[in-house]
Amino acid sequence: MNNSVLIIGGGIAGIQAAIDSANMGFQVCLVEKSPSIGGRMAQLDKTFPTNDCAMCILAPKMIEAGQHANIKLLTYSEVLSVEGEVGKFKAKIKKKARSVDEEKCTGCGICIEKCPWKADSEFDAGMGKRKAIYVPFPQAIPNVPVIDREHCAYFLKGKCRACERFCEAGAINYDQEDEIIEVEAKAIILATGFDLYDPTPLREYGYGRIQNVITAMEYERLSSASGPTAGELKRPSDGKIVSDIAFIQCVGSRDVRSNRYCSSVCCMYGTKEAILAYEHRPGTKSTIFYIDLRAVGKRFQEYIQRAEDEYNITYIRGRPGNIELNRRNQNPTIWYEDTTTGETKSLEVELAILCQALIPPRDIQKTASILSIELDEYGFVKTPDGLSHPVDTTRAGILACGCVHSPKDIPDSVVQASAAAARAAEILSGGT
Amino acid sequence: MSDVRIGIFVCHCGKNIGGVINVPEVTEYAKTLPDVVYAEHNLYTCSAEGISSIRQKISEHKLNRVVVASCTPRTHETLFRNACEAAGLNKYLFEFVNIRDQCSWVHMQEPEKATEKARDLIRMGVAKARLLEPLEEVEIRVTPSCLVIGGGVAGMSAALNLANQGFEVYLVERDKELGGLLLNLNRLFTINGKAEEVIIPLIERVKNHQKIKVHTSTEVKGVAGFIGNFDVTLDQKGEERKIKVGTIIVATGAEVLKPVGQYGYGDKSNILTQLELEERLNKGMGDEQNIVMINCVGARIPERPYCGRICCMVAIKNAVLIKENDPRAKVWVLHRDLMTYGTEFEKYYQKAMEKGIRFIRYSLDKPPEIVGNNKVKAVKVYHQLMGKEMVLPCDMLVLTTPLIPHEDNQDISRMLRVSLSEHGFFLEAHLKLQPVEFATDGIYICGCARWPTDVPEAISQACAASAKAVIPMRRGYVRPEAITASVNEDKCSGCGTCVLLCPYNAIELQSKDGKKLAHITTAQCKGCGTCGAACPSGAISMNHFRDEEILAQVEALVI
Amino acid sequence: MRNETQVKKSGFEPKILAFCCNWCSYAGADLAGTSRIQYAPNVRVIRVMCSGRIDPTFILRAFQVGVDGVLILGCHPGDCHYIDGNYKTARRIHMLKKMLSQLGIEDDRLRLDWVSAAEGKRFASIINDMTERIRALGPFVR
Repeated sequence: MNNSVLIIGGGIAGIQAAIDSANMGFQVCLVEKSPSIGGRMAQLDKTFPTNDCAMCILAPKMIEAGQHANIKLLTYSEVLSVEGEVGKFKAKIKKKARSVDEEKCTGCGICIEKCPWKADSEFDAGMGKRKAIYVPFPQAIPNVPVIDREHCAYFLKGKCRACERFCEAGAINYDQEDEIIEVEAKAIILATGFDLYDPTPLREYGYGRIQNVITAMEYERLSSASGPTAGELKRPSDGKIVSDIAFIQCVGSRDVRSNRYCSSVCCMYGTKEAILAYEHRPGTKSTIFYIDLRAVGKRFQEYIQRAEDEYNITYIRGRPGNIELNRRNQNPTIWYEDTTTGETKSLEVELAILCQALIPPRDIQKTASILSIELDEYGFVKTPDGLSHPVDTTRAGILACGCVHSPKDIPDSVVQASAAAARAAEILSGGT
Repeated sequence: MSDVRIGIFVCHCGKNIGGVINVPEVTEYAKTLPDVVYAEHNLYTCSAEGISSIRQKISEHKLNRVVVASCTPRTHETLFRNACEAAGLNKYLFEFVNIRDQCSWVHMQEPEKATEKARDLIRMGVAKARLLEPLEEVEIRVTPSCLVIGGGVAGMSAALNLANQGFEVYLVERDKELGGLLLNLNRLFTINGKAEEVIIPLIERVKNHQKIKVHTSTEVKGVAGFIGNFDVTLDQKGEERKIKVGTIIVATGAEVLKPVGQYGYGDKSNILTQLELEERLNKGMGDEQNIVMINCVGARIPERPYCGRICCMVAIKNAVLIKENDPRAKVWVLHRDLMTYGTEFEKYYQKAMEKGIRFIRYSLDKPPEIVGNNKVKAVKVYHQLMGKEMVLPCDMLVLTTPLIPHEDNQDISRMLRVSLSEHGFFLEAHLKLQPVEFATDGIYICGCARWPTDVPEAISQACAASAKAVIPMRRGYVRPEAITASVNEDKCSGCGTCVLLCPYNAIELQSKDGKKLAHITTAQCKGCGTCGAACPSGAISMNHFRDEEILAQVEALVI
Repeated sequence: MRNETQVKKSGFEPKILAFCCNWCSYAGADLAGTSRIQYAPNVRVIRVMCSGRIDPTFILRAFQVGVDGVLILGCHPGDCHYIDGNYKTARRIHMLKKMLSQLGIEDDRLRLDWVSAAEGKRFASIINDMTERIRALGPFVR
């Protein structure tokens, strides 16, 4: 398979870079390790500062990438090795076995309906369930399910085979094996996105111990119309619909114990989540605990102002020291210092959300070693001449964009993705 | 049209439709509709078999309209349209009826009602199909050259990226030199290298590139045309020159706010903006020992609510440079939130603190006060976090102000028919998904003209804008979907209602034989239909969504 | 959730026409489908590219031919794919409603609402609500 640009990572940045490169007339191979492209943006309910729905603006791009004549999608696939140099890279890609024949599957969904086995849904941040044969979310591209062999009764015990029985197209293939595909490319774009800081080590916040202390991503899934509670803000302990919430910023960032850097987007997404809570249930009160309120983009300051004026959101400057559990009603109580008044206080709320930092993907070291690129001290991709060549990595011909480069919001990710495509185009035109 | 021959293909979609709707019955019903000469049902119309059946039946039965009743046009319309085209039928003579996502899947417990609904929907689809007309997509050739307006770091980066891909670039700069704001800067964060080490080599590369034609001391005087075919008039000190380009990139930058009247700026002699400080640092500081910087001057206030994004970093950078130059100097930065976002900037802020720079947080309702007559002698500030007022000795006061839009953005916006945001910067088509494109096709935006931005971000945006411009130029043509508006000149009264409504500025009134008539630039039209709905004379027709087509669907609902 | 028995008992089945815009409400309706959210089978959707396409005469014609209720569904304000088509729709429908009330047509028979591409549930609940309102009003009498 001869492709000109290999793009690793099928989130919004990877998709944008793929579409731009394909529209420029180049052949693109887009590799994504999960069963569908879409990435983190698909997990979000709404996006700041417009509060438009994430899936509505993502889905057309996903469809475009899926249908483009110049884009070859390799989902449920991973890059094993990359050899060569700029202008002549050779990559080996493992296409994991879906156990479903992509050519025959029509996406009708009967197999999923009939499957009796369940597992935790990764897409729902563990807050909901999916079947053993599944698509990660309804708008998945490709709309071809995958059998999770670790939870499928057939692969574990040789039983069931319901999906095979009900599939009219005869697309189920239990004997399907992983495939190794070789891809040639002149340039490589890395767009593998981010993972989220797990706040368990911050024991003072009680994540994992206090049920009603959740992470921001768990909150996104709760508030999503397509999520495990169909968008109702039901808190974990008793399903109560909450109306008094606290958001704690800088969890896992600006912190000597974990990550010193600033995660850039959390001030804005915390505000967004508080606004959404009010929209779900008018009158909801939200308190946001912050250090510096970083709202630097277009219309961001107005967003914050509206949050204060119209959405019953209070900002308190102070990093909480402790969250305690009120055992009588399962409410978390936040202990904090309001640094603008010098007072130490406590605030009891019904639900506390930890606005966790964006961290490099957990397998970034492996990716870096496969691509022979360097990482910076935080684990994001190093751009040695960041001032003049913002998307070039330490290896010629390999570009990085989006959050794997450094934490950023959607517009900035999309810009970098197009920039990476432009740099790749320079390389493909015979330049460097 | 009595020679209309409609063919209908009803899909079972396995059991998804067939398990709820009585597909064979619905297919038989379809045959009874006027002008339907052929109907069949398929297990999966979208499968290879289904597609080939469509193609076969078109030629066998000389079908000139095709209706598929299956899932949703949002995913499969292109597929079936292409099947029609492959069989020699104009692809706009195809109509899709949604009997799955909006019928069988949502009425699973009411199969009779679902079947009745499917019949209604097919009857409506056939009613529209009957009236469909073939449409030709207009192919608009694209001249493979680009006009870049603005010769700063963004404009030059875009020009180089384009030129390296083999495209002709006209780089127009109104000053007599290329370089923009960076020519006036001292050092750039976070490495604190000299700005000239970035900008001078860039200027050299641009000047030496064969594909870039540089026009300094030149302004853009007029732009006519549309994507692929812009006629541009340049003005170099009174001398005009006309060029033809396919795409345009706006990279006109921004300027630093001069806070006249604030904190004594303009009255007292030892007050500077950060930009003026850059100049001083370039030449060499004097023996100032007490430097106070006030951030958010003219920003994040009711009259100008936005945050300047980069100014905190500019202030901290200059504070660090002052300290490195003279470690005994005392530097205070008075701020209202420190916008040192991201990985590099936060680290830089910490480094600044380690160097002994003092950060004092103040609030908008208790701004700092200046003490001194001809010169600033001290600054009084209420330290919000310590809860007390402090008096800082001061022999140099630096006011950190945001970048503001150029005054002539208005002129450019009118000339190019592109939008400005409420802040006066240029407004992109979509804040999230089209950050470097204008709603007007063929014109792109990058750098500080769009929003205050630092050098790496400006270069990224410039490359992104270049990528967008390259797409139509590489292809050589654009072929927009034929769903566009067209004017019947006999009916047009020249009222101009449509002109005001069009979100893409695609309509203008032109004089023809003494009459004023609406003229729609097809290349700009997106087919939203707002003009068509509003035209009081019924002169505007929306291709593929004409009044008669929609009315036919409405009437077919209850028959 | 409705079933055949309930339906047979109720008698009058409203016929409702919904104009849905391609980018938001039509997509929201599709999502209700992919999510298998069940709703009243009384609505018939006509797809347009933008709610701004809706000429008031379409609505008048619908009532004229005997449709019992008309629903216009567009993108939420600020989200219109064509920038501001939905704002124009809002103005037009507002004026049309005034006119209809003067003709003695009940306000509930014409409804303008906003559904995003992610609001399958909302689409279904609007359909159900509209159906019940029209059922309560009875058939449209010319």
